[in-house]
Amino acid sequence: MATLRLDALSKTYPNGFTALHGVDLEIADGELIVVVGPSGCGKSTLLRMLAGLESISDGELAIDGRRVNDLEPAERDIAMVFQNYALYPHMSVADNMGYALKNRGVPKAERRRKVEETARLIGLEDLLDRRPKQLSGGQRQRVAMGRAIVREPKVFLFDEPLSNLDAKLRVQMRIEIRRLQKRLGVTSVYVTHDQVEAMTLADRLVVMNGGRIEQVGTPMHLYERPATRFVAGFIGSPAMNFLDARRSGDVLTLPCGTQLASPWPGEAGETRDTPVCLGIRPEHLAIVPEGQNGGGTLAVRVELVEPLGADTLVHARLDGQDDLVVARIDGIQPVAEGDSLILRPDTDRLHIFDPDSGQRLDDLEPACHTPTSPA
Amino acid sequence: MATFQHHRITPWLLLSPQLAIVAMFFFWPAAQAMLQAFYVEDPFGLGRTFVAFENFARVLASAEYYRALGITVAFSAGVALGAMALALLLAVLADRVIKGATAYRTLLVWPYAVAPAVAGVLWGFMLDPELGLISAWLGALGIDWNHQLNGGQAMALVVMASIWKQMSYNFVFFLAGLQAIPRSLLEAAAIDGAGPWRRFWTITFPLLSPTSFFLLVMNSVYAFFETFGTIDATTAGGPGGATRTLVYKVFEDGFIGYDLGSSAAQSVLLMGLVGLLTLLQFRYLERKVQY
Repeated sequence: MATLRLDALSKTYPNGFTALHGVDLEIADGELIVVVGPSGCGKSTLLRMLAGLESISDGELAIDGRRVNDLEPAERDIAMVFQNYALYPHMSVADNMGYALKNRGVPKAERRRKVEETARLIGLEDLLDRRPKQLSGGQRQRVAMGRAIVREPKVFLFDEPLSNLDAKLRVQMRIEIRRLQKRLGVTSVYVTHDQVEAMTLADRLVVMNGGRIEQVGTPMHLYERPATRFVAGFIGSPAMNFLDARRSGDVLTLPCGTQLASPWPGEAGETRDTPVCLGIRPEHLAIVPEGQNGGGTLAVRVELVEPLGADTLVHARLDGQDDLVVARIDGIQPVAEGDSLILRPDTDRLHIFDPDSGQRLDDLEPACHTPTSPA
Repeated sequence: MATFQHHRITPWLLLSPQLAIVAMFFFWPAAQAMLQAFYVEDPFGLGRTFVAFENFARVLASAEYYRALGITVAFSAGVALGAMALALLLAVLADRVIKGATAYRTLLVWPYAVAPAVAGVLWGFMLDPELGLISAWLGALGIDWNHQLNGGQAMALVVMASIWKQMSYNFVFFLAGLQAIPRSLLEAAAIDGAGPWRRFWTITFPLLSPTSFFLLVMNSVYAFFETFGTIDATTAGGPGGATRTLVYKVFEDGFIGYDLGSSAAQSVLLMGLVGLLTLLQFRYLERKVQY
């Protein structure tokens, strides 16, 4: 149970490579923060710095208001679940779980009691005498969780803990992690590159790119109001469609001539006809029935259809353009490759970004960095 | 099945060069030694008499043999444990080196390329009672070093030279073993509150046990057989038999004393002893190193 404060946390390696450029973040007690981003965005480095496995080049890290920059991992009172689980292969499950307690000098009887209690909590009570080699992937994952839980640390750190599991098990364990974290109420930082995991687990989501935080907020906030083009493209699957457009006043004009109502009229006195980047989520494109084309639509030719059962992904190319768009249409649609379609974007849910800086143009509130109370 | 039959002879043909070498340089001499062990032969090889187990009985009844056995046990234990402990220490240190790691590792492996006799001469020079650099330093410290007269010092010298020679071999294996331990295990242990010392003894060392076991077998065999050159070049079994190990005694009795029957019997016994030792190690230690 603890709060975490990251103040301009930076990491520069001896070879001059800067992995993190000043990360600011406040994490509330009991909150589950998911850090998500593409490979090399610095998310794992950030987590390792929190753990004390990487030194902090600049800035300050505080746990419960106490500066911990120079503390050894052992002194920070954190527990970490590794991607490969990092179970000690020569120890039984019980010894793996009790190792940290043993190091701390907890008497044998109490150690045993705590290990058994935790094992019951996560359904490992029958496996305590096994060696890691004798366990399945999911069971190993559980032991790694148990090893973290039994210590009752201030903070849990998760480094892509589910990426070595198969898809079905991953969904199960995801739900279980969420349940356990809520039940135990331990402040957690969870790093992943899987955005479904990120969306479903997070109290708040941190999207990182190139060693910087792009946006912090609840998953739904990030989905509905991405602060940058990068966040817009990263959150949501399939990814948001981006089209070049020009805006004058409250009218957006696409290269194909289609005009749409702009969600943001621009600042007063702004020069007319500025280039913008228009973002439309695949689920906010709908097929217009034939003969009902009333403007504000996109004429496309279908290139690929992916029926998923509950919905259908239609990949199509704008008529006369090179731009590809993806539409997510409810149900199974009688659409085939080569068909011509009319798609209508939901103009209430358009996103417009500055084409150069990638910043959201209709969002005047700054990217939110203050913690919201966890659910 | 026809194809299989057709190829029955090809594998043997392909193996034959290797088999010929093994047969000529191992099986034949070994068979000769076994045969010899049951005969008494005159020094010139002109005639021999079958004596059944008399050679063995004579060897096993001699106090000299048991003395050599005791010396061998002490020598082998010293060499195997010393060479492994030092190699492990060096491997742990080399594993942490980041700059110039390859250079360090190459230098540490070099002694292995030195012939045993050369290693012996080298150490013999350094510790020569009159000319040796190290013996001069020891003299300055008040230690009167003369391995030509002092049996204990002679033993220390051959143990040192043999350790130095074998350390490189052990180093290579320990280093590979250390590098095979996933970093995340040690990181997890660090987070679990284990300091460097504790991490080494509770995580690294147990995880190295398969390597250690393998090296224990190899080092025992090395100490029993391959140190002959080192001993011969430095102390020649002396002074007064203080460094006369079993393998050295085989040589002395056979090629200096010309008691070929006894020498052959001893080498058969030695082969049996090392076989037994290896068997025991596999039997009782290997079980403990599985995880």
